[in-house]
Formats: sequence, C-alpha cells, structure tokens
Amino acid sequence: MSDIDPGTLGSESTGEKIDGSSPEGIQVDLGGDPPSPETIDTANKRLDDGVNRCPACGATDIQLRPSTGMLACLFCRHEWAEEKIEDTIAGSGSLQDLKGTQVASGASDIALDADKVLTLKCGGCGSEVVVNINETTSSRCHWCRHMLTINEQVPNGAVPDALLPFALTREQAIEKIKNFAGKRRLFAHRKFKDEFSPENVVGVYLPYMIIDSNASADVAGKGEILPRQYTRGTGDNKETFYDADVYEVTRHVDFTVDDLIIESSAERANMNAFVNTNNVINTILPFDTKNAVQWNANYLVGFTSEKRDKDTSAVQPVLEHQLLSIARSEVLPSAKAYDRGVRWETERIDIHGTRWVSMYLPVWLYSYYHVERGRPMVHYIAVNGRTGETMGSVPVSHSRLLIAALTGGTVVQSVALAILWASV
Amino acid sequence: MGVSMSGLFIALTEAMNFAPQFATAVESDGDGSLWLLLSGPASAVGTYWLIYRYYRNVDKSHGYEQETEIESQPITGADVKVGERNGTKDSSIQGDNKQSHRSRVKRLP
Repeated sequence: MSDIDPGTLGSESTGEKIDGSSPEGIQVDLGGDPPSPETIDTANKRLDDGVNRCPACGATDIQLRPSTGMLACLFCRHEWAEEKIEDTIAGSGSLQDLKGTQVASGASDIALDADKVLTLKCGGCGSEVVVNINETTSSRCHWCRHMLTINEQVPNGAVPDALLPFALTREQAIEKIKNFAGKRRLFAHRKFKDEFSPENVVGVYLPYMIIDSNASADVAGKGEILPRQYTRGTGDNKETFYDADVYEVTRHVDFTVDDLIIESSAERANMNAFVNTNNVINTILPFDTKNAVQWNANYLVGFTSEKRDKDTSAVQPVLEHQLLSIARSEVLPSAKAYDRGVRWETERIDIHGTRWVSMYLPVWLYSYYHVERGRPMVHYIAVNGRTGETMGSVPVSHSRLLIAALTGGTVVQSVALAILWASV
Repeated sequence: MGVSMSGLFIALTEAMNFAPQFATAVESDGDGSLWLLLSGPASAVGTYWLIYRYYRNVDKSHGYEQETEIESQPITGADVKVGERNGTKDSSIQGDNKQSHRSRVKRLP
C-alpha cells in the first residue's frame, strides 16, 4: 500500500505557470485571407547559366572535393567554396520574432508549365547546347568540351536555395556500408549476401525543405495520480486494486524550432516500412544545415540528384504534425506527476511564423533490388554524407529466422516445463 | 519456407491485444503454470521480431523531437481535480498517450 502526495504536482490551480517565469503569451489572429508569403532572394548572383569558370585559371572542369568540402579546379587545383547561406536566410532577428510566411526563392511553388529543357549558349565556342533540366543541372558542350551549368533558379524545383556539400568520401561511405551489412550477415537473405557489392554506392543529393518555425501549442486531456494501491484476497486469489485521482490537465507552450528537415520529394516522403525502405533514409537525419552554401551546380558534378516535387503547401501538413509532436514532447516533463499516465484528448497548434528554404542534402546510397513472393522492394543502406550516420534495411532469410525463433522458443519451453515438473 | 511479414505483424498485434485478457484469465485461475507454458511460443515470436527488426529497421525514423534545435518558453497550464476512480484493476489510465508524441488526437481549430 502506498500513499502519493498530490502536492507533488507543479500546480493545481487554473492558469498558473508550471515551471519558470510567466511567459508572454503570443496570440496572433491570422483570420481573413492569408497574406502573401514574403520572398527571400537566394540566387547566386555571381553565377549564370552556361560557362562558369575557375576564378584562378578560367577552366570549367570543376568538382567538389569531399575531403575538404571545397570546390576544386581539376586543372590548376585551386580550391574555393561558395558563401554560407545562413546569413542571407536568417538575418539577425530571433526566431521568436518570426511572423508570417517567408519563402526563399528556391523554395517557391513549382510551375507546372516550367521548361523541361533549357537551351544554353556555350560561352566557349558559341554553339547551342540543350540540357534536360529535369534530369541534370550540368552538361558538357559537345563541340568545345566546356562544362555548362544551370545556376539560375528555374521554377521546376531542380535548383534549390542551397546545398550541403558531401564531407564523407566514397571510400568512407563504402566502409560504413560494409560494417553495417557485416553485422547482419547471419540471417541475411542468401541472394543479398552473394550479390552484395558496396562499391556500387551512389552519392545523391536529396531535396528537403528546411523550416524555421515560431509556434504555440495547447493540449488538454485527463491525467491520473495513484494515491493508493492495495491487494485483496488471500493465497492464490490475491488481486491488486488501485485508487486514482483524476485531473483535467491543460498545457500551453510557446516554442521555436530551428531548421526542421522535411522531405520535399513525394517519393521519399512516402514512408511505409512494409512497402518501401524510405524510412531508413529519414533516420539518418539531421544534417548540419547551418553549414549549407549557396547553390553552385558544380557541387553536383560526379553525383546524382533528385528534383523537388513538393511545394510548401504540400509539406505544410507534415510540418504541423511534427510541430504538434514536438509540443507534446516539450510538455512531457510538466506532466511527470501523473504516475498513472495522461490521456491527451485535444491539441491545437498556432503557427505564428515560418521560414522555408529548399536544400539539397548529401546521402551515400546503396540500393539492393529484392523480390520476395512476387513483391519487389528496394532495400537501402543510407549514409549521411556529413556525419556518417548509417541506417539500412537488409532482406532476411525467413526460413533461417524461423529456425532461430523455434530453437529459442524450444529452449525456453524446456526450461519452463522443467520448472513445472519440479513444482509438482 | 517463407512467412508473410504482414501476417506475422498482424498476429503479433493480435497477440498483444489478447494478452491482458489472457493475463486476467490466468490470474483468476490463480496458477502461474499457464504463463510458464506460454513462455516458449512467446519467446519464439519475440526472437523472430527482434532479429527481423534488427535487419530491416522498419521501426526507425528521424527523432526530430530530440534531434532538432528547439527553444521553449516556460510551460503554463492547469491541473484541476475532477474525480476519483477507486478500486480499479487497471494499473494505468485508459488510453495513456503521454509518451506517444506522434499519435494525433482531436485537433482544435
């Protein structure tokens, strides 16, 4: 039998602060027509579509060197980097002052009639080169061999506001993938083991929305505290009973979220672990997005990329879901007195301000196509191209797994039967 | 030999739903022997699920609630006692979702 003091609650009176000093309530009525989003221009003014030369020697064969995170000229070895985007985006204001919707120019809505191909005039020889901008942001002039790159923000989602260059080399990624799969050999599907070739890893820039938010949330529900528990009956007929004090619980939190990362490709955002393995790519988040740099298509040379196909309005429901989850997580410590739990019944989110930036983030991706009982699935092993965090899905041999499970079950069952036998 | 994973998942979920009722039956029986008899099949299912999860990572996702930079102002609110539930056999509140941050409840405008 135990008695719990209800006074352990932070507060029992309506509207009192739960912890710390009294907050300044932020209430903004966003009724009426929503205001047009404010646009932040993130275009890299220094670069054009077409020939972009090395600042030192004028060559156009430029590539990212992951070991340094810098662009490197393949002729003179000169290295440089584009400016960080953070100052352009965030400015000097605090996130608590963020009001309304700000959308960086690279995150603006995709135009359905946007050109799928772009004709560039080669700055080297004057010939015209057609680039399929749905597929690539760079192409080589077939006459003079100069590299031509797309740097203006075409409204098809192919050119984001910023990107985070790869910092992990291909060799490092292969090692990570080998380690990950190596720990999962015993029950891996035989075909996967036979065909496993981590050197097929591909460096991919995947599109994300990076969102700053200033929001308030309210949650309400019932909570229970256990003042007493006791047993009734004797011998084998003992039963435990509980007495509970029931409370109406409400919580309010004002909070800001810096650089929430959400998929802006519809295919990657579809996460159903029994149909695809996109959840493993989601798991290697977050990235050090504060180090993202202004767009320069040369960062993509030698890598592949996936185009953004979701606008801010399509990402908004996911943002609201994540902000509500964050709010529920934030109020958790203030409800710890409810030792029998809390059943939240209603929730509300007021988003006072958001700032949207479209960004390419670097992922080393090993993919394995596997068909099981006529159902195809691509199993990914993904490595965060900055931090090296690795997550993956390895197809299993169900027969071996079943043998292991039955063996384990049999051992436990034998022990249980022995105990029963001894007690008779 | 192959086992449908969705079938196993459904079976596991059903088993978890059934467990409390079964526990009540066993407790009223007053004898722990049924629990012991069940331990073999339960550990077989548990072993299968644990290994499967380790390989396929179907339950993994980005923990944005902890891994994102969040700044909260002090939490405010109210706690008003509205009643008592005495003599219940439930060890926790029904529908406890204190820790289930991602399960959505009724949304107010």
